[in-house]
Amino acid sequence: MRLGEIQRLFHDAVRSADDDSGAIHEASLAIVGSASLPAREHLLIYRRAVLGTLTRALTEIYPVCRRLTGAEFFDAMSRDYARRTASRSPDLGAYGECFADFIAGFEAARVLPYLADVARLEWCWHRAFHAADRAPFDPAGLAAVEDERQSRIRLALHPSASLLASGYPVHRIWEVNQPEHEVVSSVSLDEGGVRLVVWRQQYDMRIDLLDEREWWLLDAVRSGATLGALSDSPDLPTLLPRCITRGWIAAWKSIDD
Amino acid sequence: MTRFTRKSIEGAGIGLRTCHYREILGSRPPVAWFEAVADNYLGDGGMPLLHLEQVREHYPMTLHGVGMSLGSTDPLDQAYLRRLGRLIGRIEPAWVSEHLAWISVGGSYLHELLPLPYTQEALEHVAGRISEAQDALGLPLLIENPSSYLVFRGEQMSEPEFLRELVRRTGCGILLDVNNAYVSAMNHGWDPSAYINDLPATAIREIHLAGYEAHENYLFDTHGHRVHPPVWDLYAHAIEVLGPVPTLIEWDTDIPPLETLRDEAGKAQQHLERRRRRAA
Ligand SMILES: [Fe+2]
Repeated sequence: MRLGEIQRLFHDAVRSADDDSGAIHEASLAIVGSASLPAREHLLIYRRAVLGTLTRALTEIYPVCRRLTGAEFFDAMSRDYARRTASRSPDLGAYGECFADFIAGFEAARVLPYLADVARLEWCWHRAFHAADRAPFDPAGLAAVEDERQSRIRLALHPSASLLASGYPVHRIWEVNQPEHEVVSSVSLDEGGVRLVVWRQQYDMRIDLLDEREWWLLDAVRSGATLGALSDSPDLPTLLPRCITRGWIAAWKSIDD
Repeated sequence: MTRFTRKSIEGAGIGLRTCHYREILGSRPPVAWFEAVADNYLGDGGMPLLHLEQVREHYPMTLHGVGMSLGSTDPLDQAYLRRLGRLIGRIEPAWVSEHLAWISVGGSYLHELLPLPYTQEALEHVAGRISEAQDALGLPLLIENPSSYLVFRGEQMSEPEFLRELVRRTGCGILLDVNNAYVSAMNHGWDPSAYINDLPATAIREIHLAGYEAHENYLFDTHGHRVHPPVWDLYAHAIEVLGPVPTLIEWDTDIPPLETLRDEAGKAQQHLERRRRRAA
């Protein structure tokens, strides 16, 4: 058997949904078994290890979700996700991006309707933690662009920034479930929904609340709107400098460049 | 131009873990060198890289990778190699190591060090991949023996033979993980001392020590325990044969206080010093 064929066989066995699948039986034929440990058992050692590694990765990225559901529930849910979802990158830190969507469709998690959004917040946090330190931004340079070219400027968010809107006060749920949060407190879901930007200012992790206009601008910037497309908005002359000063908008370039 | 100490890697070092940064940077304990898992620092920025550079300012360092998937039949991931190259430029490690294993196929990553069938075909394939990676990074790699839990039918050579051929064909060095050698030897009924005697001695630049977990019918490598007595014995044999090779205490799960790691490193250091005295 060729090397590539062996690897695919081994892969399918290790990734198979249960530990008694046809793929496992097929792959066992390529393995030397022993009296104390049949060939199939050798494969199952790897299968357990792979599932363990993938679920541990989720545990590290989603500690608040784990705290909210309890460890046992979370571990079962993450095993289910790991069985269905392959990792597509050598970077294990990239695994788990779709966990929030999975939670949203996970029947047994319906009793915690905000859980998927908490997972989204934790993913944004994880992403910001490892993002680039800064983007080149030159406000003076932006002002110096001639008026007629201003409309063809495209802004960009800080490289660590993600936007998150939720119908629940997820930032508060997140906050009271941090290990260093001492007082036992509860969050009322009546506090209502929030719009957030999750990012990192130098080495300082931030979850900032956005008002409606700030959200509108950052969301437009994220979608690639040019200054020309934004200029109809009468509050832009105060809104844009504010978002730049806060550090949320951190780069620009002319679409002609 | 180099920003960091060129002090060479000697004696017993410790695997660098996030939970120890504060203590290391705060009290700068006497540790011969640190080894960092490269894959934890391939992001674009943030605290991990900041801390790594701060530790590097005070200690010699090596990088240890787990994501290259050298044994895979997929193409080498060029973006991964570029990121690793960028980290090497920032940290200036004494050397970089990877594993004799594959972690992915068909673009699906299993993130576990998976075994290769030791065949002529696999040898040619892996030798080509090591050469390609070494060319891309511009440095020789150290290749580490993995812990393994199975042997394929139709294998044509032993693991030491396979490693010897890789050294001959690619000029790579070897990182001998004595714990992995012991775990594989016990799992497959190999003679662990003979395994070490068969390795290409002059290519071995680094030794790893770690702890395994004993299951009913096999040993499982968790890197989550103190080094076990039979592994210390095998280590003593290894440095008898190989000389006082720089040795690293690896601990990846259930990470204990730095004190415990320093204690283990201290034991390895004593072994190395006894070996050095005998040589003198
Ligand atoms: Fe190792």
